[in-house]
Amino acid sequence: MSLVAEAFVTQLAAAEPWPENAALYQQLKDEQILLSDNASSLAVQAFLQMCNLPIRVVCRANAEYMSPSGKVPFIHVGNQVVSELGPIVQFVKAKGHSLSDGLDEVQKAEMKAYMELVNNMLLTAELYLQWCDDVTVEEITHPRYGSPYPWPLNRILSYQKQWEVKRKMKAIGWAGKTLEQVLEDVDQCCQALSQRLGTQPYFFNKQPTELDALVFGHLFTILTTQLITDELSEKVKNYSNLTAFCRRIEQQYFEVHDKDSSAIAARSAKRSLLR
Amino acid sequence: MAAPMELRCWEGDWGLPSVHPESLTVMAYAKFSGAPLTVNTISRSWKAPKGDIPVLISEDKVISQPAKILNFLRKQKYNADYELSAKQGADTLAYIALLEEKLLPALLHTFWIEAENYCSVTKPWFASRIAFPLSLYLPGKMSREALNRILLTKGGPPLYSLTEVEAQIYRDAKECLNLLSKRLGTSQFFFGDTPTTLDAFVFGFLAPVYKVCFPRVQLQEHLKQLPNLCRFCDDILTCYFRLSVSGHSPAGQDTADANLQKLTQLVDKESNLIEKIRLSLFLCRWMTTFVRALSTPLVS
Repeated sequence: MSLVAEAFVTQLAAAEPWPENAALYQQLKDEQILLSDNASSLAVQAFLQMCNLPIRVVCRANAEYMSPSGKVPFIHVGNQVVSELGPIVQFVKAKGHSLSDGLDEVQKAEMKAYMELVNNMLLTAELYLQWCDDVTVEEITHPRYGSPYPWPLNRILSYQKQWEVKRKMKAIGWAGKTLEQVLEDVDQCCQALSQRLGTQPYFFNKQPTELDALVFGHLFTILTTQLITDELSEKVKNYSNLTAFCRRIEQQYFEVHDKDSSAIAARSAKRSLLR
Repeated sequence: MAAPMELRCWEGDWGLPSVHPESLTVMAYAKFSGAPLTVNTISRSWKAPKGDIPVLISEDKVISQPAKILNFLRKQKYNADYELSAKQGADTLAYIALLEEKLLPALLHTFWIEAENYCSVTKPWFASRIAFPLSLYLPGKMSREALNRILLTKGGPPLYSLTEVEAQIYRDAKECLNLLSKRLGTSQFFFGDTPTTLDAFVFGFLAPVYKVCFPRVQLQEHLKQLPNLCRFCDDILTCYFRLSVSGHSPAGQDTADANLQKLTQLVDKESNLIEKIRLSLFLCRWMTTFVRALSTPLVS
């Protein structure tokens, strides 16, 4: 979008307050959604909970195709549709809610850098694991990805998506990596996050920011998703302050309203950290 | 004593030890950590540069990406991050990810995709440093790979045309430069007074943008408005890359170097031309002998 178009959209966004019927769309949580999409969706839900903005989660099989950028999750607020955490943060800021206003310039730079680290390493590792590791692809990804569709459409769609992801991995140089190297990268990333978090409750001390939401989304999903092996979740479990961080955010923002659909979405079909 | 280590990388120009960002990162880290590397630049030899440059060759090990090369150097006890705290080490990783995600696409675009830059500067420069038949193919391949990378990582909807993608990546790159400038502030290096891995990476990415003279320079103009980053690059160039040149004053050495480089380029071009003439003469001679051999039975 050009700068003029963006400014125009921001003006429109600022004009209306947050409605009651805002909806977040993602794929079907029990049968279809994959690790990386679930992580992104949970990150957005956590962010909106931290901003105290009501949102209801709607599951649709074709959420990916409805999204303006082809990626889930996306939110439908008023008459606007915004997808992915970055643009959603900007959109929410235009409406007057922001978590990172109290940070100074250097801290904002650090926050953006750490968000890029999570996207660069954790998200790419999740994509690698679910689309480039043959065992996981055969047993988990292919059955789940195309499950709402009849044969042969389910196979065609999942092969197409796998081809796209493999092309991207090749372009960024991850095609030549083995699973052990990818897990090592995940470990390095978790170590960096753990060292940055230290003993503080949140990454920027007292108040949560969008970085906390993003890290929670990814780590919680990794910890609670059942894969072929437990190697990925073991890498995260090595860092006790990260698991404590996830537990704290789950308790504070997702356990409060038991009947709230976002809490149910957070637990979905997977184990809760508390059990 | 550590085994001798050789680094094969692209050579330098416009006052830089190397024009290629990743080669520059490795060379800067080697200077910061005191690792004794012999630098062999790729000149027009038949040892064609395969895929990943820079390459570190030590005994029989061949290591190819900057992150892996730096890891190897650290294991050989050449560690520039010795005094960093755990949090600073984590910050290093985060900022490197920021550079790769936000600045690298615009850098690749300026070098390899912007038509004027590519045709008038990048392609002739790289072609003159690669041996003859490959020089017709390899720069084009590098350009296609760069475009592929940008389109696959940044080019999805809602950005539907290349111009929209370009606008977005330059916006991201300028924001990244602003963030780096704020983080650097007034200090000499990113973590105090001694340079570390992060300084090597930032220098490797910024110096080509800063120094290489392109016709289309929007990123360079933005960088020049951030004086602390320009000072950062200049400091590293004067302190770590000129001290190895003994004796002469920097200005005199500069012009002498520039003249020498121009002369070598002229000589290179001439010898390239002479090679082509020799090849064509040889082919002509071979053709005439072949024709003569064919025509002899007819003349009896």
